[in-house]
Amino acid sequence: MARWLVAAILLLTAAPALAAPQRVVSMNLCADELVLQLAERDHIRSVSYLARDPAGSNVAALAATVPVNHGLAEEILAADPDLVLAGRYTSQATVALLKQVGLRVVELDSPATLDAVRAQIRAVAGLLGEVAKGEALVADFDARLAAAVPAPHPLKGLVLRPNGYTVGQGSLVDSVMTRAGLVNLGADPALAPYRELPLEALVLAKPDFIILDEEESPRPALAYDVLRHPVLRHLPYRMQAIGLPSRLWTCAGPAVADAVAALATAARAMEAAP
Amino acid sequence: MSRGFEPPLPLVIGGLSGLVLLLMAASAAVGYAPFDVGAAASDLLAGRETLPALILADLRLPRALLGAMTGFTLGLAGAALQGLLRNPLAEPGVIGISGAAALGAVTVFYSGLAGAFTLALPLGGITGAFLATLLLYALVGRGAGTTTLILAGVAISAFSGALTALALNLSPNPYAVVEITFWLLGSLTDRSTEHVLLALPLMAAGWLLLLSGARALDGLSLGDDTAASLGFDLKRLRLMLIGGTALSVGAAVAVTGAIGFIGLVVPHVLRPLVGHRPGRLLFVSGLGGAALLLAADLGVRLIGIRPELKLGVVTALIGAPFLFSLIYRLRREGA
Amino acid sequence: MRIEAQGIAVTMGGEAILQEVSLTCRPGEVLGLIGPNGAGKTTLLRSLAGLVAPDRGTVAYDGMSLGQIGRPRLARRLAYLAQEADAYWPIRGDRLVMLGRLPHRRPLAGESAADRAAVAAALAATETTALAGRRFDTLSGGERTRLLLARALAVEAEMLLADEPVAALDPYHQLHTMELLQAAALRGAGVVVVLHDLTLAARYCDRLVLLHEGRVLADGPAAAVLNDENLARAYHIEARHLSVDGLPVTLPWSRIGADYS
Repeated sequence: MARWLVAAILLLTAAPALAAPQRVVSMNLCADELVLQLAERDHIRSVSYLARDPAGSNVAALAATVPVNHGLAEEILAADPDLVLAGRYTSQATVALLKQVGLRVVELDSPATLDAVRAQIRAVAGLLGEVAKGEALVADFDARLAAAVPAPHPLKGLVLRPNGYTVGQGSLVDSVMTRAGLVNLGADPALAPYRELPLEALVLAKPDFIILDEEESPRPALAYDVLRHPVLRHLPYRMQAIGLPSRLWTCAGPAVADAVAALATAARAMEAAP
Repeated sequence: MSRGFEPPLPLVIGGLSGLVLLLMAASAAVGYAPFDVGAAASDLLAGRETLPALILADLRLPRALLGAMTGFTLGLAGAALQGLLRNPLAEPGVIGISGAAALGAVTVFYSGLAGAFTLALPLGGITGAFLATLLLYALVGRGAGTTTLILAGVAISAFSGALTALALNLSPNPYAVVEITFWLLGSLTDRSTEHVLLALPLMAAGWLLLLSGARALDGLSLGDDTAASLGFDLKRLRLMLIGGTALSVGAAVAVTGAIGFIGLVVPHVLRPLVGHRPGRLLFVSGLGGAALLLAADLGVRLIGIRPELKLGVVTALIGAPFLFSLIYRLRREGA
Repeated sequence: MRIEAQGIAVTMGGEAILQEVSLTCRPGEVLGLIGPNGAGKTTLLRSLAGLVAPDRGTVAYDGMSLGQIGRPRLARRLAYLAQEADAYWPIRGDRLVMLGRLPHRRPLAGESAADRAAVAAALAATETTALAGRRFDTLSGGERTRLLLARALAVEAEMLLADEPVAALDPYHQLHTMELLQAAALRGAGVVVVLHDLTLAARYCDRLVLLHEGRVLADGPAAAVLNDENLARAYHIEARHLSVDGLPVTLPWSRIGADYS
């Protein structure tokens, strides 16, 4: 609800007061994705360097044609922007400095529900003066979402993040799983105390599957070591691992719908297999 | 009149062994979820593959075993180093060996070598520990003062820390900093039988080397010359103790991260029980280390703080005040 | 056991400590090593004990080199008492003396009856039996020195090398220690002792070796070695020679070149 309000205010105040920003700088990956998908190419001064990494970014190809910044105040100032988009967790020192200098800095939150995803797309579109494009992107999102058929039975899943962290209620992943017709065991109050899930608790929760953040080229990480633990191979019940790149569900954008679709497909495949 | 209570050695060893076994059983019984250990144990023995039996066999028993093995290593290595360097402040963590072992393990892990062959990770830890021990010996020589020793340890720790940070910087893995920071604090969580089998042979080899120096350490309490005149080859002794420390501590750190202070606290507390004789202290200190580490690991699981306290943090909380009081006492004695 | 040093030279830290030193230590004899500070006495004693390998020359134990006899075997037959000896850990007295039995202990064996007997005898001989139950760090300097001497005696070695064993002792214990060394020689052991006290040296040693600037200045009975010429050259002192109870006494009396007027 609040998101709608913010978006509306922005639209009302932005439209008459300012023309569409001509020099947009983005310092945050999620903002990058929206900026690259919504703004005119000539209006983009720079996006963050993370946007070019195909493993973590959904818009790597688009980012290749645009200059990048490393989130340093000097770079941002040199670009002389009229709009700077940052994230809630962008360096506080840098953001404060930019605001002090008089730049217009807007900080984006991470969306937690599918509605919030739509709201953020519209809000950023409004900021950029590209309302029509925003609507088109939301329509695309809705279409993909409609095409994703939820799993027939509510299978139980756990998201396993590096170092044994899982995700609880009130996160985008939780919303994605629910929309795909699955049960997020991580939202179970019994597991609530564990921000870091010990294998024991995971095994006893008896998930049907675990969702892993899989990258194209797995790089050595201690966090993934836990996935090689022998106990997972000896389980007396069937448990499958589903790999899903975390970039699909981190930022607001049509990619979220792809995450829903992927999960639903995997769940249906699991059910079909003997 | 001799002050202090000094029980006969078999009693000390028997008592400590009993304590260790008790703590291992407790460790298997305590966990994260409601669990009937008795049922699990009987399932396991009967060969029934139930979930509790699986958790007991694959998760809890390895954790208890690894806790005992690592604690034994740290207690033993601490006692050996204190005997060799004739300094009550020596222990693998304080003098930088654990930090260097961690560096070795981290380097092997992130370079991708860990996947190359199974023993790569503990060998990385061992190499790091070995280089640090050699460097320490070169810097401190025989029987150098407390200050020199601690400074050498600080230098080695700082250097290892810097190189570890560099390795993290260069690592292609974006999670590297976070996970290594936690790994370095030491933990026994979710280790497996594979870890046990990986570390055990190397640790055991290290234990043999360290324990075989018992007599020589007794002789060394009279000084280098007298020890040599009693028939001990000091060069060989130093090599054996360095090698033993590097092997056992290196393997331990590679599997559990850097857990400190066990090797400092345990020998000090148990020394009066063996009449301050460095030779006798070795095995006894090993048992004491196993007991202390198992107790700390139990504490970590019983204290309801989430995310779970790291083992190295708990031992540091116990050990650092102890170190302060030890330094204070030595200062009063004019060391 | 007989120790024969032939032409040994030892250099440490660039300085030549011993140059061309030859001497023989025989069983049943108390040999006194004397000389001014820095003459090389401790280094010589350490070379004889096999603790320092000479740069030139040889040290032979009953005709065998250190490598031939082996350190463990030598340790059973030769006991060394270091200068300013100390024990690092506060061990109990009798346990400390028991350390002297380490060369005789079999690899995994405990203390034998022979070990305990040797320790008891050593404690009795040095009159330190009362200190057996005391912790080392609670003892006075003199008590510590005597306990460490007991440790050396407990080895029951054929050859005892002692570096200034009486320096920190009161007169009673100085005399007692020298008498112990003499008694050991009478029983057939060889004794080499580094001394500063010329009186004690003259009285208790069968033979003296006077070292000066890394070389042997004189080697022989006390009367021959402690003549005015040697004393002047090595120590730069004059001494008075007396006779008490028929035994020669050498008293350092004045420094040469000092103005006493």
